[in-house]
Amino acid sequence: MNHEQTEFAEFFQASWEPCLRAVVASTGSVQLAEDQVAEAFARAWLSWRKVRRHPAPRAWVVRTALNTGVSWWRRRTRELPLAGHDAVAPRDMDDGLDTALLTALRHLSDRQREVIALRVFLDLDIDTIAGQLGIAPATVRVHLSRAVSTLRHELSPYQAMEVD
Amino acid sequence: MNDNDELNDSAVLSAVRDSISGLPMPTAPRLEAITARGRARHRRRLAGVWVASVAACAALVVALAGGWGSAGPAPQAGPAPQARPAPSHHATEVQLAAFSVVADRDGSTTLTLGPGQMINPNAVRQALAEHGIPALVTAGEFCRTADQPAPGVGDVVVLLPHGLRYVGSGGPLPRPSIVIYGSRIPRGVKLSIGYRQDAQDREISFTLIKAGAPLTCTSMPDHGPHGDDGPQG
Repeated sequence: MNHEQTEFAEFFQASWEPCLRAVVASTGSVQLAEDQVAEAFARAWLSWRKVRRHPAPRAWVVRTALNTGVSWWRRRTRELPLAGHDAVAPRDMDDGLDTALLTALRHLSDRQREVIALRVFLDLDIDTIAGQLGIAPATVRVHLSRAVSTLRHELSPYQAMEVD
Repeated sequence: MNDNDELNDSAVLSAVRDSISGLPMPTAPRLEAITARGRARHRRRLAGVWVASVAACAALVVALAGGWGSAGPAPQAGPAPQARPAPSHHATEVQLAAFSVVADRDGSTTLTLGPGQMINPNAVRQALAEHGIPALVTAGEFCRTADQPAPGVGDVVVLLPHGLRYVGSGGPLPRPSIVIYGSRIPRGVKLSIGYRQDAQDREISFTLIKAGAPLTCTSMPDHGPHGDDGPQG
């Protein structure tokens, strides 16, 4: 195994789980995220010379994974129950994900989910996220603020329980 | 934003983090599986380059023969674009590079948008119409109707990798390819394609709309019945 292969192997081992969690947060499915992240790492392997020089290689993987699944999410959002009418959990929610969280996440736009994934699970700061997404830091803040506002509203019963 | 808001924001993000972090995640696949997947993808891509080259040549030939970036196995002898000023040679070249529409063997249609080119929405709409795809194509705005017809747009449109939204980071923008299954669009329904591009960011959004229903168009795509991605007053 040459130096680049060793480097990629280390990156893969260290980054698999955080990237997977970030994509799970955005796609709402562990199973789907697993496939998307595997695909993204396969592409990272193909483009490793470029990715290794990327300022945030994990973000590259997450964005690549998310780009493969946007249409799926849109289809899924139509299948998820509306807030307040989710007495029956969707059939494929049995991978342990919190239905309330999923319902909340579905109210976010793709971009907002992307910002959440990069901010929360990759611990990227606003400026780095802005650089990754090619948008202004102020725009990232707006997306983050709106996302948090929506999540707070959707998750409010759970927040109240925690405070109490 | 005051300290309480900050705290609340933090608590919300922590709730999201904790919810996902508490889940057992599948262990990483073996590295060999990833690299094998990469090699397989590389082989497919090499094979695809040849096919794409043939398709691109076909598109160019048809376009030069009078089409507007539309190519298919049996180009329709429909009327030339009406009410369109005769393009200059330079304008024609730009238009040809901006997009192509190619019929696929499985009955789907692939719309490919060129990098860095502004598309002519009417030309794209007309090209798609020639392939039996009723579409509303808008540049700089994203339009939808109040009700989203079934099926979901995900059943009609498949985005090839890097297809939907790509944000450039200094390198050339890739060509987003959109596979459209026109036969899955019910009667009375159109595919709404919104397209926005600036120097660094390109965003394409799709949704199904009811033909003839009032449209709501925004400068940012609305991703759902509760989408809040648009500007707020």
